[in-house]
Amino acid sequence: MIGLRVQKRREPLGWGSFLVFLAAIVLSLAICSLLLAIQGKPALSALSLLIKSAFFSVWAIEDCLVKSVPIFLCSLGVAIAFRLQVWNIGAEGQFALGAVGATWMALTFPELPWYALLPAMLAMSSLAGGLWGLVPALLKIRLRVNEIIVTLMLNYIAILFLDYLVYGRWKDPASFGFPMTPEFSAGGVVGTIGGSRINWGIAVCIAAGLAMWIFLRFTRLGFELKAGGENPRAARYARLSYNGLVILVMVLSGMLAGWAGFLEASANLNRLQSSIMAGYGYTAIVVAWLARLNPLMIALAAFLLAGLRVGLEALQLDLQVPAAFGEIMEGLILLTVLAGGFFTRYRLSLRSNP
Amino acid sequence: MRRLSIVILSLVLCCSLAFAAPKELKVGFIYVSPIGDAGWSYAHDQGRQAVAALPGVTTSYVEAVSEGPDSERVILNMARKGFNVIFATSFGYMDSMLKVAKQFPDVVFEHCSGFKLAKNMGNYFGRMYQARYLSGMVAGYMTKSNTLGYVAAFPIPEVIRGINAFALGAQAVNPKVEVRVVWTKTWYDPATEKEAAKSLLDVGADVIAQHQDSPGPQEAAQEKGVYSIGYNSDMSKFAPKAQLTAPIWNWGPFYVQTVEQVRNGTWKSASIWWGMKEGIVDLAPFGPMVPEDVQQKVLAEKAAIIGGTAELFAGPVTDQAGKVQVPAGRVATDEELLNMKYFVKGVIGTLE
Amino acid sequence: MNPDMLVPLLAAAVQSGTPILFATLGEILTERSGILNLGVEGIMLMGALAAFLTAKLTGSPVLGFLAGGLFGAALAGVHGLVCLTFLGNQVVSGLALTILGTGLANYLGTPYVGQEAPGFKAFALPLLSKVPLLGPILFNQDPLVYTSYLIPPLLWIFLHYTRWGLGLRAVGEYPDAALSAGLRVKGYRWAGVLAGGWLMGFGGAYLSLAYTHLWTNGLSAGRGWIAVALVIFAFWRPWRAVVGAYLFGGVMAFQFRLQASGTHLPSSLLLMLPYALTIGVLVFSSWKGKGNEAPAALGINIEPSE
Repeated sequence: MIGLRVQKRREPLGWGSFLVFLAAIVLSLAICSLLLAIQGKPALSALSLLIKSAFFSVWAIEDCLVKSVPIFLCSLGVAIAFRLQVWNIGAEGQFALGAVGATWMALTFPELPWYALLPAMLAMSSLAGGLWGLVPALLKIRLRVNEIIVTLMLNYIAILFLDYLVYGRWKDPASFGFPMTPEFSAGGVVGTIGGSRINWGIAVCIAAGLAMWIFLRFTRLGFELKAGGENPRAARYARLSYNGLVILVMVLSGMLAGWAGFLEASANLNRLQSSIMAGYGYTAIVVAWLARLNPLMIALAAFLLAGLRVGLEALQLDLQVPAAFGEIMEGLILLTVLAGGFFTRYRLSLRSNP
Repeated sequence: MRRLSIVILSLVLCCSLAFAAPKELKVGFIYVSPIGDAGWSYAHDQGRQAVAALPGVTTSYVEAVSEGPDSERVILNMARKGFNVIFATSFGYMDSMLKVAKQFPDVVFEHCSGFKLAKNMGNYFGRMYQARYLSGMVAGYMTKSNTLGYVAAFPIPEVIRGINAFALGAQAVNPKVEVRVVWTKTWYDPATEKEAAKSLLDVGADVIAQHQDSPGPQEAAQEKGVYSIGYNSDMSKFAPKAQLTAPIWNWGPFYVQTVEQVRNGTWKSASIWWGMKEGIVDLAPFGPMVPEDVQQKVLAEKAAIIGGTAELFAGPVTDQAGKVQVPAGRVATDEELLNMKYFVKGVIGTLE
Repeated sequence: MNPDMLVPLLAAAVQSGTPILFATLGEILTERSGILNLGVEGIMLMGALAAFLTAKLTGSPVLGFLAGGLFGAALAGVHGLVCLTFLGNQVVSGLALTILGTGLANYLGTPYVGQEAPGFKAFALPLLSKVPLLGPILFNQDPLVYTSYLIPPLLWIFLHYTRWGLGLRAVGEYPDAALSAGLRVKGYRWAGVLAGGWLMGFGGAYLSLAYTHLWTNGLSAGRGWIAVALVIFAFWRPWRAVVGAYLFGGVMAFQFRLQASGTHLPSSLLLMLPYALTIGVLVFSSWKGKGNEAPAALGINIEPSE
């Protein structure tokens, strides 16, 4: 009887793994085309429209860069937690709290000049986001509570807390009762670079990305992080205990997502309102995983997924494709890549059983 | 020679046709929810269809656009693609629209339910509170328990104003009524809205009104065998035994007029707040259970509103805490109405 | 709040808790076999849409309910494919499934927002509904709620008293030993995933066929995640799942009734209650538990042997 035999590969696949990745993307695009066809939309022109509107004009590239800033920062945070196999699903809530923290600073000290106020806002958002990451970390190490659920529930709570503030005590008296904070003073707004629409948040991303890369590649602690993830018991021999590592990654994670919240509130909205929440925290998980938790790849993946969101709007405008199509693409890409990972880690061969 | 004259004649014909044809306009609409929701966006889309029927006008729309930075991109894209008029139908699009309006001075922008203006950006809304007042009258007549339930989405001024108008209308015909408010913090979630309606039914409400976009509360009322007041559009097909009436939107006339003005070159930026007189808000037909004399009284009041003789929000208007918000002897100004942050006496509920 | 609001509140708690109960029981079944499926939210939503559309097309709510289960199982099958055949990371696969399921349901369902489907209506069971106190709470509900009463005991009997149930549990606790003993580990796990997905689909179907008869994007509103948490609270046992699900349903119903009674608490804070309670419940479970209630091999893929 002929059967398939599965063996773990002894050497990694190298170039082949990129091909597998590509094949996965092609497969997900094929399924997406099928879905488009079901709804009566022309599949091929839809996909080409998607790519064209996402990347093929100066405005589009600007849009993508602006959108990648929050996605990149959240992903960076998620990736560092995932490396330790700490499943931080709470980027969304940490983002919200970061925005809240920065807003508090901006509203309390509007007279400060930008070189004092902006760093203060950054610090406050680090504190708030970091705190929101610390809570699940403590629950995990002290009481062995599953961090997946806690971080997820904290997302809902954080968003409701944000709503409570903008509907209540922080509501702009000049806004006719609508739920938004007053506009930030000039000192509280992260400006744009030159005449483009890209804001200085890009600089924060580059700095954070480089710092993370150096940390993971060249420091002992970074190495321990990777080792601790693959085998929690091994980490016991490292300088930082496993518990310490958990706290470190969750706080860093929360901080980075908090920075994304600060930048969105300050640079894009110039105030805080409920609509700041756009699902970046969840997209970040997709990006982090697709990028194999590697900071440089995260930059690329964040840009591509931002492009997906941008291109999707053209699909809506021109072809009336429902907005949920983007989630389908994200989910499919992730699932096919996950399945494809099988072929890079294992080798298939034919086996005959007598 | 003959061929030349044919060519010249054809050219002249074409040119005259070009002058005679109405100028081509592209009109874009941005909705905050799917248009099938039988609610807010659905009503706007009905208006869009009225515009699409005009000669020389093409329309397009994007639905379920989340407020915030995404909306800025959508509006920007529409402007870049050469749309001449863009309507944004939710409050949260205000800042984004203003930003884009500054970059595209030749495009006309209209924002619904907001308050910011620019040379090429106006805002518009409807005096839904007039229809709410009338629906309150119906509820006041039909209730037996004197408790009216109101399922409301978010505590923003238009919702608060609607609740107050409803309460005042009910109190005008039945001074003993009280209105209980439950917030769902969602515009469209039938399950949550239905649960909220059920909670009001449990405290004894026998008419359920809503400022929500789904027929969830209507379902709850029909199941319990009590009455309901719909919203946005006639929801009676979901609850034929329960719906008394519904305050509804009719955006067609406004959209058509605006587009025509842009075409003629007579459009000017303004804050437009039309009411029943202009036909932008209306009351859905009464359900079969509403007695003839109630219908007559309510229709009489409606005529008074249209005619300008009715005075809604006439002082003294007292709030929940007992403070007089509008003194006796005058009517609330538009400014006061737009800024409404209190509930009138007789309304039981929080404001956040 | 006055006492005679108690009975309607508890009745509402049962209704509100039923979809969560279906989903929790489904996840228990899947996790007992060793597979962690975090895609519950997406599966519930797809189940809700499938049920809605089927009922609308065929006019039969019963067919709709079954379709909900079928599509739930189908979507769970994707998770099974990725994790059991392709040995993908179970956590990430579940998350991807949530994103996919939510997106798919919202995408396919957008044209149907605002439409109604024939659904189930409540009716009182003849003698039982007259029982004082419990009668109106438990026995004046719609047929799907009555169906949900049958599942916990059936599941319990299955897990503890049937050969397949014991096999399933063995596969979740000691897969290597089970394999050596000749049990088909992959087969049991597939069964756990698919049957669990079927129940989760039922939970979604309840939302669009009985709780309301409408469809909207995002109908499940986080209930799938609460179900995942409740599995932990229930210590992976069906009876405790019942307590947890109705507790949750109760909290969700309670905060509205609190508002309707005229409380001064801001509604945003009240809306936090279910989520805060979930965390509280998890902390309590971890504190009280001995730490070994979870199936020992949960979430770990079985590497192919050399």
